[in-house]
Amino acid sequence: MQASFMSEKAHIAISKELYEKCKRFIEEQGGFSSVEEFVEFVLSEVLSKEETEGAQLSEEEEEKVKERLKALGYI
Amino acid sequence: MARRLFFLGLDSLPPRCLYGDLSGHFQYLKGLAEDGAKFSMRSCHPPITIPAWLVMFTGKSPGELGIYGFRHKVKGGYGTHIVNSSYVKAETLWDRLGREGLRVGLYGVPPTYPPRPVKGFLVSDFTTPDPSASYTFPPWLKRELEAAAGPPIFDIVYRSGDKERVARDVLAMLENHMRQVEYLATSKGWDAFFYVEIAVDRAHHAFWRFFDPQHPRFEEHPTYSKVIPSLYERIDSWFERLHRRLPKDTIVMIASDHGTKAMKGAFVVNQWLAELGFLKLKKGLRELEPGTDLQEELVDWGRTRAWAWGGYYSRFFVNVKGREPEGAVEPEAFEEVVDELRSELRSLRGPRGERWETLAVRPAEVYPRAEGDAPDLMVYFDNLSWRAAGTLGWSSNYLPENDRGPDDAVHDWYGVLAIYDPEGRVSSSNKGIVEAHEVRKLLEKLLLE
Repeated sequence: MQASFMSEKAHIAISKELYEKCKRFIEEQGGFSSVEEFVEFVLSEVLSKEETEGAQLSEEEEEKVKERLKALGYI
Repeated sequence: MARRLFFLGLDSLPPRCLYGDLSGHFQYLKGLAEDGAKFSMRSCHPPITIPAWLVMFTGKSPGELGIYGFRHKVKGGYGTHIVNSSYVKAETLWDRLGREGLRVGLYGVPPTYPPRPVKGFLVSDFTTPDPSASYTFPPWLKRELEAAAGPPIFDIVYRSGDKERVARDVLAMLENHMRQVEYLATSKGWDAFFYVEIAVDRAHHAFWRFFDPQHPRFEEHPTYSKVIPSLYERIDSWFERLHRRLPKDTIVMIASDHGTKAMKGAFVVNQWLAELGFLKLKKGLRELEPGTDLQEELVDWGRTRAWAWGGYYSRFFVNVKGREPEGAVEPEAFEEVVDELRSELRSLRGPRGERWETLAVRPAEVYPRAEGDAPDLMVYFDNLSWRAAGTLGWSSNYLPENDRGPDDAVHDWYGVLAIYDPEGRVSSSNKGIVEAHEVRKLLEKLLLE
């Protein structure tokens, strides 16, 4: 993601309980400097899988499933 | 406070096996059904795993979904794709539940690969290529689940002539799924948990004639006759244990997507179409090896008026000009070809000249609308008793056994739906028939009202 895009922010509200849990988590685990950074990371990880995998099977994956279904008599 | 609901989906379970003469191996589940509302669930057109579960969970007909089976016809082509979760454009029950603030858990619901985000968690079904795929939502659930309950077994590989192995594999798959579901159901927060077990269907297809005394080829076998009873009993005792660990006011729904009955044989539909002149091949039928697939390059499309797909039901397609890449039928002649096909199907008889109750249905006759590349006819040979063999090269159009896959059982129109409500808000009685597309509303009523 472009740095300039990442610097424009939209505000969301999360429960205080979740915020505190998150804060404790990153203090104990390290790797992130703030709750905001952690939340942005987790969300972009989840969403980037949706974009790149595109919810389509590769030809190889589709062949695997096709052969299995053929052997089961469905096609 | 909203009560939880556990949905136990047993793929292909017919009413006889939960309510009737073959229900003796489901003591606990039968008891829940007796104390609850019992329905026979009329499946959709076609009564096949995909799209039947989708119909139940979206409330839409296959026509509205544009999904008519495991395969999807390539638009403007003769090829096919396998249906996956990205083909589902309609809102699902779990989409709605998530918006209403409920957390859902999904396990093995067809088709949920690739996994899409849900408010809760999801483990995909037997359409997953293999365990190396990212098969859960959230993605990191996969590692946790495998650490707790082992890697998944998504499906069995059926090898004819090795029923011993099939028996071992189907039971191993069941144990694998139950272990994973138990882990998820007892360690995660959820308001509604939807579990579909495909092992029931696999066991039915492979071992039905060793289980159902009404099967024309029924055989009592020391090993094979025990597979389905063992499967049922394992599910029954597993669920009884799990049920005791759930909150006492949890609603339980037991359902299937269609039924099961004896397979009488396989009808070699494309050979029949070739003999009648609808389908023209570049080679003579006698030159083909038994089991030859109807590949695109084998067909003389310029002289072909119609062809069919095999499976537990048959889809017929007219080779229409302007719709198909090498269409041979003028659009004005389409209706005539369909009428001719239906007429031939009406007079089709069995191998000994016996009458068949073959159904040939047009999508517009059974769906409010037909999206996507709907078949021109949906054909159920002898009311599903004969499956359709799409392959060629056989010495007869009537195969006593299957052209591929297991050959003990085919699908049937009615599955089950039973609702057990410990608070008695759903009265215990025999409620008659519920349609597959009505199941979603029932679930919404139980969870949201």
